[in-house]
Amino acid sequence: MATAWPEKDDNELLSLIQNGSSQAFSTLVERHTERFYRLAYRYLQSREAAEDVVQEAFIKLWENPGLWQPARNSKFTTWFYRIVVNLCLDLRKRKPLAPLDDGTQLIDEREPIDESMIRAQEQKMLEKEIAALPERQRMALNLCFGEGLTNQEAAEIMGLNLKALQSLIMRAKTTLKTRLKSIL
Amino acid sequence: MKDERDEKLDLWLQQRAVTPASPDLTQRIILQAQRVPQRKSVSLWQSVRDLFAEFHLPKPAYVLAGALAIGLVIGFSTPQYNETSANDVVAAQNFLSADETVL
Repeated sequence: MATAWPEKDDNELLSLIQNGSSQAFSTLVERHTERFYRLAYRYLQSREAAEDVVQEAFIKLWENPGLWQPARNSKFTTWFYRIVVNLCLDLRKRKPLAPLDDGTQLIDEREPIDESMIRAQEQKMLEKEIAALPERQRMALNLCFGEGLTNQEAAEIMGLNLKALQSLIMRAKTTLKTRLKSIL
Repeated sequence: MKDERDEKLDLWLQQRAVTPASPDLTQRIILQAQRVPQRKSVSLWQSVRDLFAEFHLPKPAYVLAGALAIGLVIGFSTPQYNETSANDVVAAQNFLSADETVL
């Protein structure tokens, strides 16, 4: 389906959605689904769960477009990240993350080891250690590294001040460096 | 200052793999939204207007209501004071003071 109104910015689309325009809603969904999915996936480590969260967030917006108040909210993406983050945290409270496999079991030593296999193993170990971090540290890492947001934006999304966010990231990275000492 | 391990960790964090979403995710969201009715948030002013919109009065009723309103305005703006009532007040005061002397 072709995107309608690609030239309209998010605020214009949102005011059209508030007037019941499903076309504007489609445009907004097509524009932003991927980025919100990425964040949800990095946090939940499950495609189905991440898709459900993104779908729920967009349906909430469609059902109740009055939630968005341009005078109160600075930027649509920042505001909507907050909705996705809250849904992810709620889901994790109801359904804790299943422990990931130990990455060291990935390599079959009979097979020749190539660079991509080593990379895959490192990736797996990193994911395992990130999953073991406290929730808020994990979310802070996802926002700042995965999404390329500034610390200020990430702090706003998490409802923290800048110093608190920086402290979360520092603690997360210190823990990761200690736990991944053997491969870093 | 950042050391080599910091840089490597930062790079790993930025390059974390993400399993792509289902190709139909966007369409699923759009279709799901079509089945869900929108809830309109109604302001106080809008709800007052809606309430009054329920009363469909014929034109003569507006004329009558207008005439009554004008009558009320004129009635309240006419001075209440007149000489007769002032005289009555004086007479009543005289009568009362006469009673007090007897007591």
